[in-house]
Amino acid sequence: MKHTFYTFLKAFTGSRLLLLLVVSNLLLCQGVVSTPVCPNGAGNCQVSLRDLFDRAVMVSHYIHNLSSEMFNEFDKRYAQGKGFITMALNSCHTSSLPTPEDKEQAQQTHHEVLMSLILGLLRSWNDPLYHLVTEVRGMKGAPDAILSRAIEIEEENKRLLEGMEMIFGQVLPGAKETEPYPVWSGLPSLQTNDEDARYSAFYNLLHCLRRDSSKIDTYLKLLNCRIIYNNNC
Amino acid sequence: MIAGPTGMDLWQLLLTLAVAGSSDAFSGSEDSSGNPKFTKCRSPELETFSCHWTDGANHSLQSPGSVQMFYIRRDIQEWKECPDYVSAGENSCYFNSSYTSVWTPYCIKLTSNGGIVDHKCFSVEDIVQPDPPVGLNWTLLNISLTEIHADILVKWEPPPNTDVKMGWIILEYELHYKELNETQWKMMDPLLVTSVPMYSLRLDKEYEVRVRTRQRNTEKYGKFSEVLLITFPQMTPSACEEDFQFPWFLIIIFGILGLAVTLFLLIFSKQQRIKMLILPPVPVPKIKGIDPDLLKEGKLEEVNTILAIHDNYKHEFYNDDSWVEFIELDIDDPDEKTEGSDTDRLLSNDHEKSLSIFGAKDDDSGRTSCYEPDILETDFHVSDMCDGTSEAAQPQRLKGEADILCLDQKNQNNSPSNDAAPASQQPSVILVEENKPRPLLIGGTESTHQAVHTQLSNPSSLANIDFYAQVSDITPAGNVVLSPGQKNKTGNPQCDMHPEVVTPCQANFIMDNAYFCEVDAKKYISLAPHVEAESHVEPSFNQEDIYITTESLTTTAGRSGTAEHVPSSEIPVPDYTSIHIVQSPQGLVLNATALPLPDKEFLSSCGYVSTDQLNKIMP
Repeated sequence: MKHTFYTFLKAFTGSRLLLLLVVSNLLLCQGVVSTPVCPNGAGNCQVSLRDLFDRAVMVSHYIHNLSSEMFNEFDKRYAQGKGFITMALNSCHTSSLPTPEDKEQAQQTHHEVLMSLILGLLRSWNDPLYHLVTEVRGMKGAPDAILSRAIEIEEENKRLLEGMEMIFGQVLPGAKETEPYPVWSGLPSLQTNDEDARYSAFYNLLHCLRRDSSKIDTYLKLLNCRIIYNNNC
Repeated sequence: MIAGPTGMDLWQLLLTLAVAGSSDAFSGSEDSSGNPKFTKCRSPELETFSCHWTDGANHSLQSPGSVQMFYIRRDIQEWKECPDYVSAGENSCYFNSSYTSVWTPYCIKLTSNGGIVDHKCFSVEDIVQPDPPVGLNWTLLNISLTEIHADILVKWEPPPNTDVKMGWIILEYELHYKELNETQWKMMDPLLVTSVPMYSLRLDKEYEVRVRTRQRNTEKYGKFSEVLLITFPQMTPSACEEDFQFPWFLIIIFGILGLAVTLFLLIFSKQQRIKMLILPPVPVPKIKGIDPDLLKEGKLEEVNTILAIHDNYKHEFYNDDSWVEFIELDIDDPDEKTEGSDTDRLLSNDHEKSLSIFGAKDDDSGRTSCYEPDILETDFHVSDMCDGTSEAAQPQRLKGEADILCLDQKNQNNSPSNDAAPASQQPSVILVEENKPRPLLIGGTESTHQAVHTQLSNPSSLANIDFYAQVSDITPAGNVVLSPGQKNKTGNPQCDMHPEVVTPCQANFIMDNAYFCEVDAKKYISLAPHVEAESHVEPSFNQEDIYITTESLTTTAGRSGTAEHVPSSEIPVPDYTSIHIVQSPQGLVLNATALPLPDKEFLSSCGYVSTDQLNKIMP
């Protein structure tokens, strides 16, 4: 009995054991955030709503973090002393969406509307994020912190959009979600030769990004607590 | 968004103003003019906010209340004055939830006497700074086995004005802790839950804990909560109380009761074995092999026998001087007394009896010290041989008997056996003998022994025989010839009138008077012819029949012509001295005769002294 046990152990020494562990990990670790919940897209996924919301809240929080850091980084490097107070003047391209501005409004907004708004925001930021990455890359002396974050945000934004679409499909099945979303038209200002204008455009864009990620994050947490936890987070 | 020209003009104005005052607002440079300035704008819960400004150094120049603050929102295209100057305290402006719009840029300005002194732009979500958490407390999780460390759980509540339940605001907490005597706070990682365990806190130390919170993804923390003091009460007493107190008191009580019951049962139980085992009887004084009852009631003879067996007893006896004769006490035995008088004993043929008289009843008899038992045996042998031969041996026998007795002067024995012994037929004969001449007496005693014995035995049948007989003559052979007078009385034809009787038993000497020593006796014999002429056969009864005189002895000695070669001695021939009376076993009183008293030499040669001699010696 002992002999057979030891021979069995011997068979799993070294690399063999490592391989076994790796394979088992791959099989078991399908619930990680990095891996897509449903590779096939919307459809017959069996992931629970709770898990979807948990993941969505996590991603939105991550995006908001990244955008805040990016803005602060940019502000520290390029906007100091120059008085770029464009946050007061500039308006974001997503300002047309009738998003609730305070808690009472948000509480009175139906979750369907909220989800539509979230989806509209996410979709409207696809294009600006793409160009942002392109333009930051081309920016002379752009710190790697800003660029890496820009890349990361773009990727996470797409992921979050997918998750939200899945949530919407589960929460509101059969509802159409083809709402018009705001289109960004600030690309020319990012590509202007005026450095100050460009930096101002960047500053504005990053500022809007930070604000919209905050909106998304808040709306998602609101929906999570309302739908999943029944207002008892 | 598209705004009207007026809006644009207004905003451009704001922009210029902002640019003009941005340096001060954002750079944070100090105000040298002493005007009021915004200090801080904060929103504690993302629903309201307030702005504060300083009063300014030279407010005395300004009238109170001249400072105004205005605000503008992008969706509201006009400056509005602060809706609430009071709620947030002095020099503040409070915007309640209706005036608050999140994700909406705000701009505020401060005016003093119409002049703009400060302005600021912000968004509400950027100025969130929650209130401190409330309800900070701790609970004990567990204590280590060594009772040195403990784990606790610290809990708190989010600020009451924050709507965490709805999820409107997500808070992040940071816990600080330190020991009571430390100065530096230690912080833990931010956490999204409202409780956190703390491990391995020392029970003997006190700790302080505080917590603060911020909105997640923002940078600014709110103010700290109140400091919580963690003090561990003295755990040992409570631990001891929880521990099981061993009931020593009860155990002792029950143990004593159990023992008492057990002893009670044992003492009164009928199981003698157990009783003997647990409570052995106290041993009484006891000598091994001796029954104590015997000591109380038993015969002394038996006791002595038993005791004699005992080694210790023997040793004690043997410790004494060996000269000390053991006296056998026959106190309790009257039969022995009446068993026979001394006369009977002397005259009886009972050898064994005489032997028993002389011999030791037990091995410890002191008599054996003076003479050997084999002597007695040999006497018997000789006596067998000499039986019926001569009665002249009587005095010799008597003498020998006296010798045999070997009585010490001090040992005045009362034994009747001693009475049987005396050669002169006295109850006791005290002789001081020397051991040396004794062997010489053996032969004589042997012959005399039997002769006397024979002589005595015959009269014993008559039962009227006197105890004493006068020796009339002694044959050269050493036989003693008793006086005829007495013999006539006794009717003993054998022994008397036969001075010539020669016994085959040779007596080496003629025993003179019993009083005299053997040496003297020889001398007497040697000088016998000298005296012989005086009195031949005259009975030398001086006075009484009980005397044994040596006259006959001497005469016989002369006649017989002693073969003995008696050396001439200058010792004067002592006459016989007759025993006057026998006063007591202790002493003999001799009559003083006409014979010259012996000199002192004589006295010295013999250990015995008569009373007359004594009187002469010691007047």
